[in-house]
Amino acid sequence: MNRRDFIRILSCALLGASGLAPRKATASHPRERGRPAQFVFAQIRYRGGDWNPHPLAVTPLMEELMLRTSVEAHTARHEIRITDPDLFSYPLLYLTGKYDFEPFTQEEIEILGRFLSYGGFLLADDALGQPGYGFDRSLRRELKRIFPDKELSRVPAGHAALKSYYLLRTVGGMRMVHPYLEGIQVGSATPVIYCKNDLGGAWERDPLGNWTNACTPGGEEQRRDAFHLGINLILYAMTENYKEDLIHVPFIRKRLTR
Amino acid sequence: MSEIFFIGALPGWVILLIALAILTLLVSQFRALRQRLGARKCWALTVLRGLVYASLVFFLLSPGLITKRVIKLRRSLAVVIDASQSMALPATSDGGQNRDRSPSRIDLVKQKLLEGKVPLIQRLAQHYDLQLYQFHSDLEALPPQSLPQLRPQGRDTRLFEALREAGQRAGPRSGILLFSDGIADGRSTYLEKGVSLPVPVFAVGVGETRGYTDLRIADLRVPDFAFRGREFKFDFSIQAFGLAGKTVPLYFNRGKNLVLSRTIAIDRDPFETRVSLSYTPREVGPHSFALSVPAQPGEEIAQNNHKDFKIGVQRDKIRVLTLSGSPSWNYRFLRLALKQDPSIDLVSFVFLRTPTDSVDVPDNQLSLIPFPIDEIFLEELKNFDVLIFDNFSHRSYFNIVYLEKVRDFVREGGGLAMLGGTRSFESGGYAESPLTEVLPVEMEGKGGYETDTQLRAALTPAGKAHPITRLLSDPGANEEAWKKLPPLTTLNRVGRAKGETLVLASDGARGTAPLLAVGRFEKGRSLAFMSDDLWRWNFIALGEKESPQNHLKLVRQAVRWLAQEPSFEQVQIGAIGGTRNPGEKMDLKVRVFKDDFTPAPNATVRLRAVGPEGEEIPLDAMPEPAAGEFSAPFTPAKEGSYHVEAEAYLGGRLLGKARKNFLVAPPFEEEADGRPRPELLRQIAATSRGEFIPISSWSDKSLESMATQLERLAPSEIVEQRQIQVWNTLWAFSLILALLASEWWLRRKWGLI
Repeated sequence: MNRRDFIRILSCALLGASGLAPRKATASHPRERGRPAQFVFAQIRYRGGDWNPHPLAVTPLMEELMLRTSVEAHTARHEIRITDPDLFSYPLLYLTGKYDFEPFTQEEIEILGRFLSYGGFLLADDALGQPGYGFDRSLRRELKRIFPDKELSRVPAGHAALKSYYLLRTVGGMRMVHPYLEGIQVGSATPVIYCKNDLGGAWERDPLGNWTNACTPGGEEQRRDAFHLGINLILYAMTENYKEDLIHVPFIRKRLTR
Repeated sequence: MSEIFFIGALPGWVILLIALAILTLLVSQFRALRQRLGARKCWALTVLRGLVYASLVFFLLSPGLITKRVIKLRRSLAVVIDASQSMALPATSDGGQNRDRSPSRIDLVKQKLLEGKVPLIQRLAQHYDLQLYQFHSDLEALPPQSLPQLRPQGRDTRLFEALREAGQRAGPRSGILLFSDGIADGRSTYLEKGVSLPVPVFAVGVGETRGYTDLRIADLRVPDFAFRGREFKFDFSIQAFGLAGKTVPLYFNRGKNLVLSRTIAIDRDPFETRVSLSYTPREVGPHSFALSVPAQPGEEIAQNNHKDFKIGVQRDKIRVLTLSGSPSWNYRFLRLALKQDPSIDLVSFVFLRTPTDSVDVPDNQLSLIPFPIDEIFLEELKNFDVLIFDNFSHRSYFNIVYLEKVRDFVREGGGLAMLGGTRSFESGGYAESPLTEVLPVEMEGKGGYETDTQLRAALTPAGKAHPITRLLSDPGANEEAWKKLPPLTTLNRVGRAKGETLVLASDGARGTAPLLAVGRFEKGRSLAFMSDDLWRWNFIALGEKESPQNHLKLVRQAVRWLAQEPSFEQVQIGAIGGTRNPGEKMDLKVRVFKDDFTPAPNATVRLRAVGPEGEEIPLDAMPEPAAGEFSAPFTPAKEGSYHVEAEAYLGGRLLGKARKNFLVAPPFEEEADGRPRPELLRQIAATSRGEFIPISSWSDKSLESMATQLERLAPSEIVEQRQIQVWNTLWAFSLILALLASEWWLRRKWGLI
């Protein structure tokens, strides 16, 4: 047990928190120690703006992922630049920020274009929550460069990403800018999904296990939805349209119509 | 009989002018003579001179003489007798009352030709140059003395071809006397296209349509092949003659099992109805079906109440079932490879949650579906071609007994692939499972799952030629492509391969270990890939600006090999297209490959055909010039369903087996519909300007009528004609000279000279 684990256990004992916090304020998930990880959450480090508004957001999500699903994951995120030779070792990339960032170089645009066109997945998360400003403006600009003939459009309610694990009817986050996701469709896949509700803010917890940010206006339920969405998007990246296979359709339809 | 004619014809007015000039000359001569002689002498001399002038004019017109002589020719007559099988049917129909007593159609023809005080054949021979033929598939001369022994044995009736040939042999002015029931195949389109026959045909129709009783299944149209799990349709006609008012059952069987029955109400005569049925085959392979209607009292032909047919059922798609222990990149890119292949039908189960995972919502807010263990392993598994365990361990989900079903699935012909991961091979608890019997690697309890390695793939000699690992057709380029594949970071260590190791994983320091191995277990196949990093050959390769196609191709080829696609078999029998005719020679071709899929020219090939009654016919497969190819001639003698089996051995070891079915059937079924076709014979007679005569109406008058008709069309009398030129003959010159001499003599006598 390292120092961080000790502090978490101690804080859990002291705070006696309920819901997500008490369970998640444990050390790294036991499975991480026993079994090699299959999934690493890679976050893009870019120039300008603020690429890292929630440095502690990923670990709680990974812990939740391992607690709820069969995925073996690294609890720590992996920071990566687009030009990193290892980029394609991480088929899911997380791109977040608050402010305007520098345009990607042409090489970076080409790499991302190839990455997203042949099986990679990009989860974009606006930590500012101001449509048309800051991160949102820069992201839309860069996506237009990567996919000149495609637009971000609203992800429909029945999309596979919204039923890849949880049957989601709403989109959580630290704030509620839009109750829906946007995405870019390439063939039958959606390699880019964009959330403007600051998912990272909802996931983030300090070293003592306390939530860093309050979720408004929905509170803890909204946070739970943010975790559910995070898990769904990871599973969607790893299974694509699996939940749209015919074998699942009657089950899901039955549950959604209840 | 002679006629005169003029060659040098002059215009009338010229002849008139000459005549006037001669007349003037003669009058002038007469007047001059009259002054010196009496009237009688003047007339005598003038007449003589007139005859000279007339002779000169006559010969000036170049007269000729035509002599004519009438000659009568002997006409040829080809008597053409249908000797096909349908002529063995009864000539008259009375609803089966006197079936045994009724003569056959051929017997009736023989009676007509051979019986009587002066048999018809003799009378014909008296009047004509008689040529006697029998025909079915070909026209053959029939010696008259063999006519009593003529048997109707022909399997088809090439009527038009026979008539054309007989007409050509008989020559012009001839005729054909045809005896047939009109049941014919061959180029019936001759009539439709208006192709005329060279000589008139006098068609004597044998057999009666009145009272004909038959129920038959006809015009069956079935697809050449069907797909498993997909309904196929076929249709056919039910025809009935003389059975109006009856109701008959129709049975459709697969093998001996009744699939369905239907009632057919025969409400008119003749009756025909088109029936359409469908069937959904559940298994791959040849399927034998039968349609039948029960024989009715008085039926002429009972054989046509039953129709067998065979359909080869193929898989339309390779059905692949994947069980993934958890969501993973390996699954993501495996799915990509399989979903993008239109010939693969993928059903996948990804275990999103383990039994120890907890959820924070009720089950109805999860998209998880129950894994139908019993349904999959006890019922549906046989309907899949390939089962893939992708980092999946049975331990948390079901009893080991279900793995016995998987083992049996492989033994019975299925394909199994196990991909590496923390839940695979020994790490997944398979070392003591029934799957050890059908996995191509040994698990000795020492292996484990290794991470953080840098493993390079290296093709083994077997892997260099195997269809799974042949990413590029050029061997050198293929090896190069394998070398360029990104390194893998995980490895499931296993013992040695039981089958063929195609790819080794090499990390330099710890030597090599099997990475991809394949094996055959009874009828099935299995594959083991000892890593869950297969996806890296797709996406990491993409990052290195290499093609992801190598991964896609490897996955798809592996699935095809596991599903035993024919192109991935080591023994392949060449195509045997369509239905073959009895007695038709065919060359059976066999291609044999070694385990590494290089041609096997030294293989021993055992080839045999199995006939419709199960009789085995060993065949000699001889090597062909192309390496690894063998062929054997075969001539099927009987009708029915055959299959060919090939086995190839190399060094005493069985390389593989192959089997192919084919059908041998005559192109035309003589006895399928025994109804006489007077309408066809009538049409032939009409188009050839002959005459149709039912055999029952044949009499001496028919013979006379035929002779008259032939005479009218091409008279047998011809006129021989000779031309003689008169004007340039000696006697013509002598006549003129004699007339002139007479005149000279008289003038001298009468003192004019």
